[in-house]
Amino acid sequence: MRGQKVSMLLGCALLCSASLLYLGLSGIDCPPPDHAHRHTWADAHLGSTNQSQASPIYYGEDTPLIFIGGFPRSGTTLMRAMLDAHNAVRCGEETRVIPRLLAMRATWSRSARERVRLDEAGVTDQVLDSAVRAFLLEVIIGHGEPAARLCNKDPFALKSLSYLARIFPQAKFVLMLRDGRATVHSMISRKVTISGFDLTSYRDCLTKWSRAMEGMYSQCQGAPEGSCLPVRYEHLVLHPEEEMRKLLSFLGLPWDPAVLHHEDLIGKAGGVSLSKVERSTDQVVNPVNTDALSKWVGHIPSDVLREMDDIAPMLARLGYDPLANPPDYTRPDPIIAPNNYTLLQRTEILHPS
Amino acid sequence: MRVSARRVLTGLLILGGISTLTQFLRFCLPCRQPSQGAGEPVTVLVRDGWRVSSDIPLVFVGGVPRSGTTLMRAMLDAHPAVRCGEETRVVPRILGLKLGWAAEKEGVSTKVLDRAVTAFLLQIIAGHGEPAPLLCNKDPFTLKSAKYLAHLFPNSKFLLMLRDGRAAVYSMISRRVTIGGFDLSSYRDCLAKWSRATQAMLTQCTQVGSKRCLAVRYERLVLHPRSTLQTVLKFLGLPWHEGVLHHEEAIGKPGGVSLSKTERSTDQVMRPVNLDALTRWVGHMPPDVMADMDAIAPMLGRLGYDPKANPPNYGQPDPQFLNNTQRLLRGDFKTPVASLHLNGRPLMSMKGSQTER
Repeated sequence: MRGQKVSMLLGCALLCSASLLYLGLSGIDCPPPDHAHRHTWADAHLGSTNQSQASPIYYGEDTPLIFIGGFPRSGTTLMRAMLDAHNAVRCGEETRVIPRLLAMRATWSRSARERVRLDEAGVTDQVLDSAVRAFLLEVIIGHGEPAARLCNKDPFALKSLSYLARIFPQAKFVLMLRDGRATVHSMISRKVTISGFDLTSYRDCLTKWSRAMEGMYSQCQGAPEGSCLPVRYEHLVLHPEEEMRKLLSFLGLPWDPAVLHHEDLIGKAGGVSLSKVERSTDQVVNPVNTDALSKWVGHIPSDVLREMDDIAPMLARLGYDPLANPPDYTRPDPIIAPNNYTLLQRTEILHPS
Repeated sequence: MRVSARRVLTGLLILGGISTLTQFLRFCLPCRQPSQGAGEPVTVLVRDGWRVSSDIPLVFVGGVPRSGTTLMRAMLDAHPAVRCGEETRVVPRILGLKLGWAAEKEGVSTKVLDRAVTAFLLQIIAGHGEPAPLLCNKDPFTLKSAKYLAHLFPNSKFLLMLRDGRAAVYSMISRRVTIGGFDLSSYRDCLAKWSRATQAMLTQCTQVGSKRCLAVRYERLVLHPRSTLQTVLKFLGLPWHEGVLHHEEAIGKPGGVSLSKTERSTDQVMRPVNLDALTRWVGHMPPDVMADMDAIAPMLGRLGYDPKANPPNYGQPDPQFLNNTQRLLRGDFKTPVASLHLNGRPLMSMKGSQTER
């Protein structure tokens, strides 16, 4: 009896080690990752899991993409998470490669000499644009689940807003605006590195924020009528339903109450996919809240506070009183239209009597 | 053995243990990526009605600049079934960008990134010229990424142009052809860089395998054009076409050879294949460099170019093409660069036009 037991155990042990060896040598096929399931583009276009379409539909320049962006720490992740909760939209995490490709494309067109060389090689603007379009579409489509409306969120992609509007004429843009003081405080206190920004200096960061915002905001205003919507972070967190109704109408999407409870759809299929490495993930797992609104107050050095309007002129232009600490976000000053700004006295805007 | 409840239980426990262990192993052991071939090829719409997929036959021509890459692609362009066209300049840049991305953890998977790069490359390679049964791309430094390109384009082949480093370096220095990373004031630096670049490309070529990558000697191409091109066309699976031996007659013609006014080899490649540039480098190497030649550029010896011979014996030319060189030396094809015309427009010389790496 004992001998039989021993031999049975030995047999099992041998079987176990044999299978271990076999598995180790031959390798097991990786389980297919949730995201990169090679869906047919037909599925994505129909927004359903019905596999009836035989031939894939090719995405092209008429794809009605949604591009969300703005300065980092301005609520871009919150915005895309809320849109992700909509049953027809999929944004997904930051791709990080899209802004880099766009930046490279911008440098090629800046140099007149390079443009001549490229033209001589048959690499015309049309060819380059087709190539950039193809790259962007492959990334955006392959980046996550299929959806009727595809969306991309890479904050600095909107530094090329005008270019994107040209190569994707049906695209819509959502530019997140936020009080630069809150943005910069978030960057510095959370140590979110952005290339070129000195995280030890509020002055440096605010100056650069203002410059970056000027670029993106003017492109948003210059975009074709009805293609770019600026959204204030403060208004989004104070009046989420009002803002989201306005936004969905702008995007031509039906109302979906799920957008007000994105936190319920995190990690769910058709819901909100979050990145482990992104800096806003820990905040966006919570429901929409106003915690971060005025955290910056009291943290900005007094010399910077005094010179605020000179350091960051975009504050006033975007309707954030540079001398109020903090402004009353529930009563936002209107964004100043560019042609009015130069005419009005700055003091009149800031201290209407 | 009697079947008792206890034994059954033990048996079940053991089975349960094995299956748990297997599941556990799935996470611990490295798993095989599902074969890339299972994915759909990337397809792009180039122009009205013209779609191109990543599984089309493609040929990439490259090598260290000044090694006959333009000559090779011009001769191929003269074949009715092939279209290379000018250097795109952007293909190496996107490859360089991708190389930088692979290192960091990006927001997109490698598979998606590869598809995106493939789509971009297809649009450029197909879009910058006319359609042809065999599309071709010539950007010299792409052969440093031959393995990656071979993975993206499963039916691609590669032609690696090799040349005596001394000749290549003399050409870049005397013609002041700016190449990223090469210090044109130093023969020593350029020869060392030539050696390293050649080694890198040759390694890639070897790894891609002889069925897909063919190394071609510039010297052999100009000394024995017919037999060399026969080898090349056979390697590419193309029928022979006499036109490849007279590429100069197809310049600017539809389906022929399209040249760029700003590329540095254009003035040379407008002429028929000749031996003019073979040994021009002799007497121009600084003596200290000549003394250390083998140490500076070990690839010379490894490729069979005697580092001590100035020049080595590259071989005997075909009599048929010797005529071209004689006519050249007599001044038959000599035109001052300033008045060289292409498609009716003057050939400007773009100072310092950099070859993309």
